[in-house]
Amino acid sequence: MGQARQRDDRRVAWWFVAPVLVGFAVFYAYPAVRGVWYSLTDYTMLGTPSFVGAENYTDLLADRQFWSSMLVTAYYVVLNISSQTVLALVVAALMHRLTRSVVLRAALLLPWLVPNVTIGLLWMWLLDTNLGLVNHLLHAVGLGPVGFFTDAHWAMPAVAGINTWAYTGYTALLLYAGMLQIPQHLYESASIDGAGELRIFARITMPLLRPVLALVLVVSLIGSFQIFDTVAVTTKGGPVSATRVIYFFIYQQAFSYFHMGYAAAAAVFLALVLGVFTFVQLRLLRASSSDLA
Amino acid sequence: MNRITLGAAALALSLTALTGCTSSDDSGSGGAVTLEYWLWDDNQKASYQACADAFHTANPDITVKITQTAWAQYWQNLTTQLAAGDAPDVWTDQASYYPQFVTSNQILDIQPFVDRDKVDLSQYQAGLADLYAKDGKRYGLPKDWDTMALVYNTTQLKAQGIAPAELENLTWNPSDGGTFEQLIAKATVDEKGRNGLDPSFDKSKIKTYGFLPEWADGSQGQNGWGNLAVSNGFEFLDKNPWGTRYKYDDPKLAATIDWFKSLIAKGYAPPLDKASTLSRDALLSAGKGAITFAGSWMINSYLAADAKVKFAFAPLPTGPQGRKTAINGLSDAINAGTEHQEQAWKWVKFLGSADCQNIVGGNGVVFPAITAAGDKALAAHKAKGQNVQVFVDEAKAPGGTFFLPVSEHGNEISQLVQDGIQSAVLGQSDSATALKKANDQVNALFK
Amino acid sequence: MRSSNRRTPGRVLAWVFLAVFLLATIFPFYWMIRTALTPAADLYNDSSSLLPHQPTLINFARVLGLTTEAEARAAGGSGAHLDFGRYLLNSVIYCGLIAGVQTLLCSMAGYAFARLRFPGRDLAFTLLVSALMVPPIFTLLPNFILVKQLGWINTMAGMVAPTILMTPFAVFFLRQFFLSLPREVEEAAILDGVGPWGMFWRVAMPMSRGPLITIGLTTTVWAWKDFLWPLLVGRGEEHRLVTVALGVFLQQSPNTQPDWTGLMAASTLSVLPVLLLLVFLGKRLVQSLSFTGGK
Repeated sequence: MGQARQRDDRRVAWWFVAPVLVGFAVFYAYPAVRGVWYSLTDYTMLGTPSFVGAENYTDLLADRQFWSSMLVTAYYVVLNISSQTVLALVVAALMHRLTRSVVLRAALLLPWLVPNVTIGLLWMWLLDTNLGLVNHLLHAVGLGPVGFFTDAHWAMPAVAGINTWAYTGYTALLLYAGMLQIPQHLYESASIDGAGELRIFARITMPLLRPVLALVLVVSLIGSFQIFDTVAVTTKGGPVSATRVIYFFIYQQAFSYFHMGYAAAAAVFLALVLGVFTFVQLRLLRASSSDLA
Repeated sequence: MNRITLGAAALALSLTALTGCTSSDDSGSGGAVTLEYWLWDDNQKASYQACADAFHTANPDITVKITQTAWAQYWQNLTTQLAAGDAPDVWTDQASYYPQFVTSNQILDIQPFVDRDKVDLSQYQAGLADLYAKDGKRYGLPKDWDTMALVYNTTQLKAQGIAPAELENLTWNPSDGGTFEQLIAKATVDEKGRNGLDPSFDKSKIKTYGFLPEWADGSQGQNGWGNLAVSNGFEFLDKNPWGTRYKYDDPKLAATIDWFKSLIAKGYAPPLDKASTLSRDALLSAGKGAITFAGSWMINSYLAADAKVKFAFAPLPTGPQGRKTAINGLSDAINAGTEHQEQAWKWVKFLGSADCQNIVGGNGVVFPAITAAGDKALAAHKAKGQNVQVFVDEAKAPGGTFFLPVSEHGNEISQLVQDGIQSAVLGQSDSATALKKANDQVNALFK
Repeated sequence: MRSSNRRTPGRVLAWVFLAVFLLATIFPFYWMIRTALTPAADLYNDSSSLLPHQPTLINFARVLGLTTEAEARAAGGSGAHLDFGRYLLNSVIYCGLIAGVQTLLCSMAGYAFARLRFPGRDLAFTLLVSALMVPPIFTLLPNFILVKQLGWINTMAGMVAPTILMTPFAVFFLRQFFLSLPREVEEAAILDGVGPWGMFWRVAMPMSRGPLITIGLTTTVWAWKDFLWPLLVGRGEEHRLVTVALGVFLQQSPNTQPDWTGLMAASTLSVLPVLLLLVFLGKRLVQSLSFTGGK
């Protein structure tokens, strides 16, 4: 019986995986190799690539705009991840101790379901210097108008704030799901012992949530590095270069200036940076895979 | 394979063109063809739609589909579409931006067509046709021209006791701003109704700014700093068109930017970091500003019959080197990769002909490049009761105009210089440093 | 839990915080709809009251392409042709194709990697999963060139190509799930002479409704939000997605200012389908989050 099964598998198994392998080969492996090749060429996308060796990389390392966009991205990631995670943790913890309402959870999920383009437009309108609701409210309490997307100091916090708004509910639900996996009896015995909510949070929730929290953090970190849509809609990298994040830099090099080879080199660089984070993520996924499903 | 067939088709077409296909009327008209045509000014769309309709009537097998994309995104969109191989057959071109498409072989050289069809280049306003020519090749026919002027809210200036005659002979210099700055100061009003010359003027609570500058103005400053800087002796680059060394580090430009910054500091102009999504004409209409620069393509926005606010135009101030206005002409470029070369040329030829330019001129939307049609436009404005003489006078004044910089890398230079100027205006660094840095980056592109 | 159900100040405060957070989440959407119902001409004088003074449906009419160009211009637009009904339909087709096909193919592969034995299995799987480490921008540029060379620009094929066959995450996730299925059921089926296909269709799939819906829903949501890729390869009117259409619409602003009322009407339309999804499948969606553990 065992033998028969092995023989059958061999024949049929490739049919199971063939479409996926084709997709992988054509749209992941092949472009990855091609991407590396382009990064070693001078390529305008309109002509044919000509090999230039490591020139794109040496140019890249000396390019102040590139480093500025890496820094700007890092600034965004710090702003976005810290505000989003802290807020989501608070919301998740409160929900966990207060309610199991599905309606509430679904409502919090709404911004996550909406395309970033819509969210960018919506907030561009809400934060408009002259007509936006937020500036009307600021005016009502006696504060001057803030040019959220035109003031170099405000632009990045504004963009980060928008995405925090969009993703906090979603992150909170992920953390909340993690909290539900913590055995209820731990909480019951803690409250019998007369422990306060803050103490319960610090002693039970946080330590037991750590694997989920770490996973959520890494996943949102990787996602956060790839911010594009919101910037493309609201600030287009400005004012000056205050919000020219790395994705936008690459996009501009490739599609505004026709520097395909250069853009590919920047993408390779970004891939290396993100590869490290993703490696950590995979480790965490494996570690917590027994908790899934 | 696609590319090969396409290339072959293009080759075949251009061969028939070059070998002197005399019956140009039926060549290449194998069936109904739709041409994609791009422009950025929504105010002009209706006029060019009228041209397209007239064109379609004359050539029933060619339909022109017009797509409008706002100026701010126009060039990025175009490059993306060119990269995708999905760009329009014909697009509206601007002098500072088109050379990059020439470098990358995206624009069809129309000189052979011009020779074949004997297009009279002398019918156009002087200098415009040559803006789009290089090394015996030609990349577009002039369709219009524009100059700059001051535009002001007449009610607002009247309320401040300023007579229109005062605006006729303004002077300007970068150190004290001349009578131009006096005018701006007088036109600025704080929330208590005091103007900028009043000792108790409160610059933290402005109701109406005397002047609205434009900072999203690329590497040209056509809508503001460029005109004043040139009137101060600034030159954009070593040779125009087709220079290779820019001079944005010229102290004369830095001094001009510093003067703008002083306006902001004095409360006469809005700070850049509080800029609005509203354009300057919307802000003027809303009474948030009194005076700004306006291009002649904006005439109909300001002098619309149904406008609630009454505007008027005045000449630019005279700087240390005289009165200088940017003069620019747009053209229409044919996509080198179009499948309908012959039809596209027909459309471009039509756009550059009196037939279309008279329609556009008659609507008084822009000044057509053909001199005769330009007169028609002036007459049309007069008939509507619009006084736009100033734009024409400036264009005719000897030595009173300058062309926008034409060189390679237009897209990148625009971004770099605009960033440099914005960072100076935002106070991130002083003007001289910011412009030096931008200029170095710009000139590095030519190495 | 029950013992702590008293009305302590802390609990009140906590509820207040949640309520404020909920309000901050929902209110911007109200403001979007409110602006969409405002005549463009009133925007300058009427942009702060809770209700529009003279509500109108003209903005919806014009983004759906139901008005003439002149009417649209009079209502604050640029007169560009808009047809958000069509863009919505395109988006639905796009999401449906990707979510349906990808889920099916990835579950087949996931099943094979989890349950079938064949040479090269572990190597192939490791390779697939390593693709998780490649950020999308890296494959985006070459894929764009590939699709361009295939002549698939502005076709639905070009738009769905990179994601319709697989995503590494879906394969990874579904394999993890199939690994956790109890083997006893299958062994019984083998005794009945059921082959791998039968096993997959009649045994494994029916037991996997939860994870399949999860992955399908998540894929749908992400596909609905896709912007950069369809912007590059699917800007043409015929297959334009709703996100791309919003971006293009913003770019077609009139000279004076963004067409805010029209933009908010179009934004409202782009939210409606997911709102319906939330209403009908909200519970599923909420539950699915605990499955995926991110992504």
